[in-house]
Amino acid sequence: MSKPILEVKNLRKNFDSFVAIDNISFSLEEGEILGFLGPNGAGKSTTIYCILGLIDPEVGEINIFGKSIKKDRSEIFKKVNYASAEFNLPWNLSLWESLLVYSRLYELSDAKIRISELLEIFEMTHLKNTPIRDLSLGLRARGNLCKALLNRPKLLLLDEPMASMDPDVVDKGINLLRQIQKEDKISILYTSHNMWEIEEVASNVIFINHGQIVASGTPLELTQKVLKLESGEPNLRDVFIHLSRAKNESK
Amino acid sequence: MNLSRISAVILRHYFLGIHQMERFFDMFISPILMIVLWGFLTKYVQGLEASTLAAFLLGGIILWAIFEKVGTDIGVNFMFDIWDRNLIPLLATPITFLEYLTGLISISLIKILFSFVAMWIMASIFYGFQITSLGFGLALFGLNLFIFASAFGIFNISLVLRFGHQMGPLTWILPFFVQPFAAVFYPVSVLPPFFQKVSYFIPISHVFEGMREVLRSGQFSAELFWTAFILNIVYLAASISFFAYILRNILKSGRLVKVI
Ligand SMILES: Nc1ncnc2c1ncn2[C@@H]1O[C@H](COP(=O)(O)OP(=O)(O)O)[C@@H](O)[C@H]1O
Ligand SMILES: [Mg+2]
Repeated sequence: MSKPILEVKNLRKNFDSFVAIDNISFSLEEGEILGFLGPNGAGKSTTIYCILGLIDPEVGEINIFGKSIKKDRSEIFKKVNYASAEFNLPWNLSLWESLLVYSRLYELSDAKIRISELLEIFEMTHLKNTPIRDLSLGLRARGNLCKALLNRPKLLLLDEPMASMDPDVVDKGINLLRQIQKEDKISILYTSHNMWEIEEVASNVIFINHGQIVASGTPLELTQKVLKLESGEPNLRDVFIHLSRAKNESK
Repeated sequence: MNLSRISAVILRHYFLGIHQMERFFDMFISPILMIVLWGFLTKYVQGLEASTLAAFLLGGIILWAIFEKVGTDIGVNFMFDIWDRNLIPLLATPITFLEYLTGLISISLIKILFSFVAMWIMASIFYGFQITSLGFGLALFGLNLFIFASAFGIFNISLVLRFGHQMGPLTWILPFFVQPFAAVFYPVSVLPPFFQKVSYFIPISHVFEGMREVLRSGQFSAELFWTAFILNIVYLAASISFFAYILRNILKSGRLVKVI
């Protein structure tokens, strides 16, 4: 087997005495979309920030492309990208200008061609001169996805990229994303607390709660394992409710 | 240090400047207003006193503007990434903090060059004062003002990172706490003894003393320059160390991703 694109080993993070991540390990193979599912406050974003190097874990090792993020961060992150609906491109800049700024941050040599190509795919060409602040929530999320694909990443970290968007917008975003993901064999870590979003997009799912991995597998395996069913249909919604409640009651 | 990434930070603020007129006017209008205000005052004192006093005042305000504008600009430009909720996506790129700070400082350098030219032209056309009469010393005064302002800006950013964006306004207030000790418009000798001691440790007080020396006697004091320069190196090193300390601290506490 080839080396995983992302490898997280024994990650632990406390905020004072509160244990936000409690010994999490997982890895991500080339071209894999791993769904990171869990209730609010489960530790999904914290894990992603650790991978981005924006939070220092107490314990644990994080390797991307087989290299430690503690060394060579700048080199590694040329081929990594990130998006979250929580954040924006620069508010007063036009979509085009924002993407141009980011293409310098990623040292693209064909910035203009790449931006045009992505705007075309995401059906935003007519919006290129619109300031970010004038875009709707759904369009801003799509803009963030354009930004996230600028550098042709091999690893994409998506932290609730479509949070609080209507199903139509989410569906559209996911379809566009998958199209590019397949072509470029991008590995994606995709967090959400939205079950059908994960069902739609992920080949494998990790369910986390209170900073621990409580179950993992394909959506169908999870359904069968957790709900002890023989059913032929993945049903992450019931898995989610089951796992969230089970853990809370045992506390 | 990667030039492409530094230029990205500059490009971002160039675009901001062309869209947000307030950022653009900030570069010209406020320096010009300073000159107009102080220019009238100098016109008035010129009638009362020898013309050196007028030169002290106009020279003082132009050099002060260099410190004040750069010192606040670095922090304000940083605040834009916080206000826009753009800091985390930015830090998720290959950029290093050193490159980011260098970018922010470079923007303020470019902007102050424009502001300076505007003030120079205003003062010379309307009040007949040539800031260039300071000769080559002007560049060295500028250097010391710029280094202290940069140290100041880095300190401001550290405070915002540590204590959150409600510290932002401090960014544009703090320079005025320095002003009385900087001896911008009067010699250090008029200050009470204790204030004189404080003044000694403010690098730019030596710049303003040096400027008056040149205007009075035509002599550039190397001693004043080196005193300011050495103090500046100490402050710059201290503020970079403070920044590094805060950064380590907020990476551990998780505050960095919450400064939004
Ligand atoms: N910087 C921080 N300081 C203190 N507590 C934090 C910080 N960041 C996250 N937490 C806490 O850690 C837990 C996990 O948060 P997070 O990773 O954001 O969850 P999720 O993304 O799964 O909703 C939450 O209880 C949250 O309040
Ligand atoms: Mg989250």
